[in-house]
Amino acid sequence: MEAVSGRYFDGKTSRAHRVSLSVSDGVARLEGDVVRQASLSTMRVSERTRHAARKVTFDDGAYFEADEGDAIQQLLDASGHRDSGVVLAQQSWKLALGAMALTVLLLGLAYRFGLPAFASGVARMLPLSVEQQMGEGVLELLDKRLLAPSKLSAERQQQIAAAFAALRQPHEDRQPYRLLFRRSRLGPNAFALPSGDIILTDEMVKLLDNDRAVAGVLAHELGHLHERHMSRRLIQTSAVAAVTTLLFGDASGFIASLPAVALDMHYSRDAETEADDYAARMLRHNGRSLADLEAVFLALDKVEKENAVSIPYLNSHPPSAERLQRVRHLAPAP
Amino acid sequence: MFNEATAAAPAPVETREEITFSATGGEYFRIWIVNLLLTIVTLGIYSAWAKVRRNQYFYSSTRLAGSSFEYHGNPVAILKGRLIALVLFGVYNVAFRYSLAAGLVMMAVFAAVMPWLLWRSLQFSLYNSSYRGIRFGFDGSARQAYLAFLGMPVLTVISLGLLTPYAHYRLKKFQHTQARYGASQFGFDARVGGFYKIYLAALGFFILTVILTAIITMVMMGLALWLIPGAEPERIGALSTIGGMLLGYPMGIACTWLIMAKLQNLVWNHTVLDAHRFQSGMRWGRLAFIYATNTLAIIFTLGLFTPFAKIRAMKYRLESISLQAHGNLDQVTAQNAGDVNATGEGMADFLGVDLSM
Repeated sequence: MEAVSGRYFDGKTSRAHRVSLSVSDGVARLEGDVVRQASLSTMRVSERTRHAARKVTFDDGAYFEADEGDAIQQLLDASGHRDSGVVLAQQSWKLALGAMALTVLLLGLAYRFGLPAFASGVARMLPLSVEQQMGEGVLELLDKRLLAPSKLSAERQQQIAAAFAALRQPHEDRQPYRLLFRRSRLGPNAFALPSGDIILTDEMVKLLDNDRAVAGVLAHELGHLHERHMSRRLIQTSAVAAVTTLLFGDASGFIASLPAVALDMHYSRDAETEADDYAARMLRHNGRSLADLEAVFLALDKVEKENAVSIPYLNSHPPSAERLQRVRHLAPAP
Repeated sequence: MFNEATAAAPAPVETREEITFSATGGEYFRIWIVNLLLTIVTLGIYSAWAKVRRNQYFYSSTRLAGSSFEYHGNPVAILKGRLIALVLFGVYNVAFRYSLAAGLVMMAVFAAVMPWLLWRSLQFSLYNSSYRGIRFGFDGSARQAYLAFLGMPVLTVISLGLLTPYAHYRLKKFQHTQARYGASQFGFDARVGGFYKIYLAALGFFILTVILTAIITMVMMGLALWLIPGAEPERIGALSTIGGMLLGYPMGIACTWLIMAKLQNLVWNHTVLDAHRFQSGMRWGRLAFIYATNTLAIIFTLGLFTPFAKIRAMKYRLESISLQAHGNLDQVTAQNAGDVNATGEGMADFLGVDLSM
């Protein structure tokens, strides 16, 4: 095997010594400005690479740096030196692309199954006081920005609350809640906060004009509370953000935040479907017809069509027509 | 190239040595994806080893005057640092959820610990870098670190931001005068005025961005209202605002690139090592072009371009720096330094603090 030219640095001064390296019977030999030898097995050989410099380091930190990568690779191959499996995978396109496929598969599985299970576990462990605080903060903000006191009369509010309270919940563990009435700048709406508050807007009551349908809406929101959707979503969003930062943070923080937004939409649609199912169960449990829920979706669908600017996938709610279809396919009430 | 084994050199010769960066996107892609898989499979533990592999690749691809750099970081030390950072960060986040008082106490603890960690991080990363077999080092004391990392930011807040360029100047001065290469000390002779100039230019650019965005938004709104009779003004307003933001946001980002390029030039053009001077000729238009096209490419490849983008940006940033060598580089001697732990390094990593430039 031909000797490989390069430089030797002794670790004491920055001076470069011209030398050549040869290996025979497992012993590395330097000749030239400096003469030195050691068993190759006691030396640290830098990992195989095509474009970076290659070094062979003595146990005292002095090292040989090859002038040319190909030559030293041939010398090392002939000497019987072998790189670790990780390094070999990193130098092979085939193995690297295999690693990529495996990574995508693992991330997909974690996103679809692992993370939701993890988030729901953590959400159930969260102390109530924490959720209470999160919810109160949000309500305060909404009251300042988007909501105003309700214009419905006290009797009317009482009537709606009593009608809903009369319904039995479908699960053994009773989900506590507090019903609040507000006027909104966002039109017909209802939402649940982690603190257990359900906010119902006057506009929604007016739009539905049917107290049984209003109870359907409230049952849907109770479903969000029961499944702890808000807390789960917060946990999932932070986890997704952490992973995408790990993946793309190298290049730019802005890019890293994009997938987190898109991926969150998907979870949010799942949550709506779960809440619909809960509402359907609750109505059935009380011998009500699913038509109450259908009335809600029909009314919302009409509003959506009037304001037609929604992109089906990138929407946090599934389109009402789709939800209507789903509920219709659920088995009819006994 | 430096003349080795110089025989009684007469007057020292000035030579210009460019930094070259030979890493390629393709090779780094393979390193990146394998590291990523192992990190996921080991639930993050491998990330410390991944960091060492990555840095070893970057350092040994960086050459100055024919010789490459080397990274010596110990993955176990880095892992310990990351775990401590994770715990601190977790406690910090939870504290605020429980009570405001607990949160404030943690914030104070954080502010008190942070400068120490950043200081350690500087020591660790420099001590674990070498060139021609000689390690770099960092001498700055803890007291100076607290002044630079805590005192200066506090001063910035008190002065309502007016002293930001001064604080930045002090930080760079601290970093670049306390660093060593073996027994040779780095020096820094920039003046604070240079920092103020850059910040003022950035401020001007920012104001221009805001004005332009506002004008274009209004023109779009006016045109739309004129061309589409009967359109709802509210919707047109919303769409025009989005249009304006599509212009304003990239310009805002371009502003940070402007600062980045000008600062790198200012800092490195005023950095010396013994009698050798550094030079940096980064052009911000080129930098902005690289970052903007990288961003688009990453989006359109669903992230697969990330490692290529990293190499492309690093190559430009590194290769715009050169060394004006006075005589040869053979005379630097090593200096022994005690062991340096990696807690700070792990912490700075975790918080995304980039102390390298």
